[in-house]
Formats: sequence, structure tokens, C-alpha cells
Amino acid sequence: MGAVIIDGKVFAAKVRGQVAAHVARLVEEHGITPGLAVVLVGADPASEVYVKSKGKMTVEVGMTSIEHRLPADTAEVDLLALIAKLNADPKIHGILVQLPLPAHLNSELVINSIDPAKDVDGFHISNVGLLGTGQKSMVPCTPLGCLMMLRDHHGSLSGLNAVVVGRSNIVGKPMAQLLLGDSCTVTIAHSRTKDLPAVCRGADILVAAVGRPEMITGDYVKPGATVIDVGINRIERGGKTVLVGDAEFASCAAVAGAITPVPGGVGPMTIACLLANTLTACCRANDLPEPDGLTA
Amino acid sequence: MTGTIIDHRLIDGRKVRKRILDDVRAGFQAEGAQDRVGRLVSISIGDTPAVAVYVRNQARGAAEAGLRFDAQIWPDAITQEDCKARILAMNDDPDVLGIILQRPVPPQIHVRSLQSAIHPLKDVEGMSPASIGNIVYSDIALAPCTAAASVELLKETGLKLEGLEVVMIGHSEIVGKPIAFLLMAEGATVTVCHHMTRSVAMHSRRADAVVVAVGKPNFLRPDMIRPGAAVIDIGINQITDETGLVRIVGDANTDAVKEVAGWITPVPGGVGPVTVAILMRNALAAFQRQKQSGWLV
Repeated sequence: MGAVIIDGKVFAAKVRGQVAAHVARLVEEHGITPGLAVVLVGADPASEVYVKSKGKMTVEVGMTSIEHRLPADTAEVDLLALIAKLNADPKIHGILVQLPLPAHLNSELVINSIDPAKDVDGFHISNVGLLGTGQKSMVPCTPLGCLMMLRDHHGSLSGLNAVVVGRSNIVGKPMAQLLLGDSCTVTIAHSRTKDLPAVCRGADILVAAVGRPEMITGDYVKPGATVIDVGINRIERGGKTVLVGDAEFASCAAVAGAITPVPGGVGPMTIACLLANTLTACCRANDLPEPDGLTA
Repeated sequence: MTGTIIDHRLIDGRKVRKRILDDVRAGFQAEGAQDRVGRLVSISIGDTPAVAVYVRNQARGAAEAGLRFDAQIWPDAITQEDCKARILAMNDDPDVLGIILQRPVPPQIHVRSLQSAIHPLKDVEGMSPASIGNIVYSDIALAPCTAAASVELLKETGLKLEGLEVVMIGHSEIVGKPIAFLLMAEGATVTVCHHMTRSVAMHSRRADAVVVAVGKPNFLRPDMIRPGAAVIDIGINQITDETGLVRIVGDANTDAVKEVAGWITPVPGGVGPVTVAILMRNALAAFQRQKQSGWLV
């Protein structure tokens, strides 16, 4: 017994390597450097850490990283004016507005003011609709990362039964669409699902994205199934704060064929996919072929 | 006993159609007292007889809802740019309430790009990426008509959608996928099956409701459903039966499935009639959104 542990750190490094190699070719053959602009409003400490880490990795793969840090009391018009400027800037291929925004700003309006072609988070309503109808779009980073890991582990996903637990806009729903795009039979389960363990046990691929610590236990898992754990929950255990996923690792790993750990599973893939999306956006903007295997 | 015996297992689409159209008419009358309501424009590119049937149906529905309907036929050889320019002009025309783009279109026309050109607040078919995006995000007021009609008929059974296990067979972009999102927004647990699914029956037999849209006559058989389940049949297939008669049938073997199912939508007379009514309901939703956005001041 014992599942294969899918190492997200190693896989994310591999993806970043592919991105870096492609960026190097773009620079050499076409004189184009992909550019990512990150906009941070206010000084949320978690966001600060994340933005810093994004900036560092963007530079490491050879892209231009631009950060705009705005005060917490920035007026909406000023933020929209900045986005309009970035939309019009041909050197910027990806724009990311770090969420959450301060309460006085309308996130939906702000996100939908980004040019959909530069919306590397894939949250613009048009990108959501394009993905929802199986058209070329920018794909949200976390589910894209999960898809890449699944493709890498299984080869083809065609015909597999996939159950996505959680119907959030940023993970559950796009994940379901991506799995459908790869010809899985997809069930989206959630808090209102009647017999969740039984539904989950039908899955060859079980994606846990509910945001509840260790809710998915071994008895939810079909022997040999692949478990992708998207949850990142901070809990107190033995007087210490620890990170756990939505799946209870030990009991799931005893039954599953493969599983992503938390931390070190899906998490590292998110930034790698952000870089992949920026590269994809840059190639599309310049009518160049898209990199293989780095988008849906 | 005299007269026709009503089979209560059949969900009567015509009745639902009438109810929705009556509501829409009343809705517009309530709104239209203060505001002038624009017209619905139907765009057919080239003259195709199959399209003409749809357009006539829609025109009839519009009349019943009390809306003006402008059926335009654009030349077969029109360019993409010309189409787009005309649509953009309609976006700006306050006398145009909504735009319907009929399919199929001639080969030189890229239909998706034209759909994207229709302003989301005039997209009464619910087909633009922004409209679909809203549905994915559970804002379901303006949904693709066939998808919304199917959900409406499922509600007609009285089944509570929250927690309902629904199997959607077929994952097309204008029917299967939007239905999955509409049902998910209502709290159902949805499984989407398609041509790569290993055993459709294994999934469909577990479901409280089965929605089928595969375009194959006799695809859904009685052994594929659970006793008492609801069946929504979206298929419209033309067949020649054993007597040489040409008939329209759905994707389910209705007579046989009816013996197992709790409810089934007949074909014809089920989803089809409701689809046009939903188009008019979308027109009312579009009107209300345009008003909220200050377009009609």
C-alpha cells in the first residue's frame, strides 16, 4: 500500500524551466520579453509575501516584472486609470490585480476592466464564459496547475470519472470545465450533495476544493484513485499552527493510488501557472505559436 | 369515459410556454407604462428554410408577449466586417431591445465573433461569453434559451433542485454545459456525461433526474434510468418510422421510458415550445437590466 506522492515543488520547478526556455527563445528569435504587471492595493501581509514571491519568480524565468503598489485608500477611478494604462501598454502581456482589494473598491468592476487577453488570473467574466464554452481563454492558475499534474501523472484523462468537491468560482467550476475539456465524466459535488462519500468513491480523480480542513477521509476514496488536494488550511495541532489540506493525508494516502501533499502539492503550481499564462498571453498578442503543454 | 385522458407523466411544455409568455406580457405592460420598449431584431444571414421555421416561431412568441419583432434577412454574401458593423450600430440603437443571431450562417461568417459583438445587455439568446460567464458565476437571469427551458421543465415536476442528483448527457456548449451550470447554481449535484463516458447507464441509473441532449433517437432506454426519475428530453431528431412516415422524436424512447420514469418531456411539445418563451423572458430581463444601467433615460 501507499500512494505515489505527487511532488508539486519538483513539478512546478519543471514548469518554470519550460517557461524560462520558451522566454529565452522569444527574446532571442523575436526580441520580445513577456511582461507581467502586478497591482497591489494596500498592505495586506499575506498579499505582500505573495506579490514579492511572484515578482522574484517572474524575473527568474526571464520576464519583465512590474509592481504597482498603491495606498489602501486609493480611489476606484485611479485604480481603473492605472489598469487602462496597463491595458494599452504593449510591453505588458499580463495584468494581475492582487485580491482581496480593500472594501471600498468593487473587485468585480476592477477585474472586468482588465483586457481579457491580459487577464492572466482568468477571472474576467469573458474568460469565464470562454472557458465555460470550451473556447480559447486565459485559464485560472490553480485549476490549470491541477490539470497539468493530472496529465503528467495519467497521460490521457479521457473517460475517467472525476469528482470535484467544491463549486467555487476560482477553483471548483473552472476545474470541472478543464476536466470536461479533457473528456472526463465530471461530477461537481458540494455541501448540498446528499451522499458525498458515495459520490466521491465513484471517482478515479478526486479533487478536493472545499476549504474545510481534512474533510475528505480515506473512506471517501476509491482504492487506486488520484487525490488532488487544493485546500490550504491553517489549524492548531499540539499547540502549533500547521498547514493541512482538505483531505486527511494519512488515511487518503493509504487508499489512493496517488495524492498531492499539503504543503508542497498544488500550492507551488499556482505561481508557475501564472508565469505560463503570461507567456501564453505574450505569444497570442504577438501572433506566435503558443508553448506546448503550458495551457489547457 | 369520454374525451382525452391526460397522461400526467408527460410534462406539458405548451402549458409552461403559455404561462411564461403571459408573465412576460404582464411584465412588459408593467414596465412599458413609463418606458418605450424597443424591438427584437432577428438576423438571418442568407435565406435558409430551416431557419425560417425558427424565426416564424419566435415571431409568434414575440407577438404573444406583446413585443415588436423585426425579422431581417441579410445577403448571403455579406462580409464579416459588414455584419459586425451592423450589429454594433444596433447596440447603439435605443429602438433595439435585443438581438437574435440565427444559425447556421454562411461559411465566410464567424458566428462566435459576431455573438461576442452583441452587447451583453442586448444578448437575449444568452450566448455571448459575458452572458455564459455570468451563468458560471451563478447569475442566471439571462441564460441560453434551451438550457433555461430544460431547467424550467424540471422545476415543473415539483422536485426540489437543491441536493438533487442530475445527470446531464451531452456536453455541448450551448446546451449541456450551460444546463450543468444552471443546475449547479440551484444546488443540484450535477454529473456531465458525454461520448467518452465509459458507462452512461452507470451514472444515469443513479440520478434523480436525467437530461439528455445527444441528438440520437432511442438513445435513452428504460433500463438506463431509476424508477420514478424525471427525464428532460432535448433531442429533436427526424426519423422515418416503419410505416414510412416522417416523424420528429427525441433522444429518449418516450413510450418505453415513460413506464419507468416519474416524469418525461414529450417530443414534440416539451422543451421546444418553452425555448421560445424563455427567449421572451430573456428580453424582459434584458430590458430591466438596460433600465437599471440608465440606458432608457
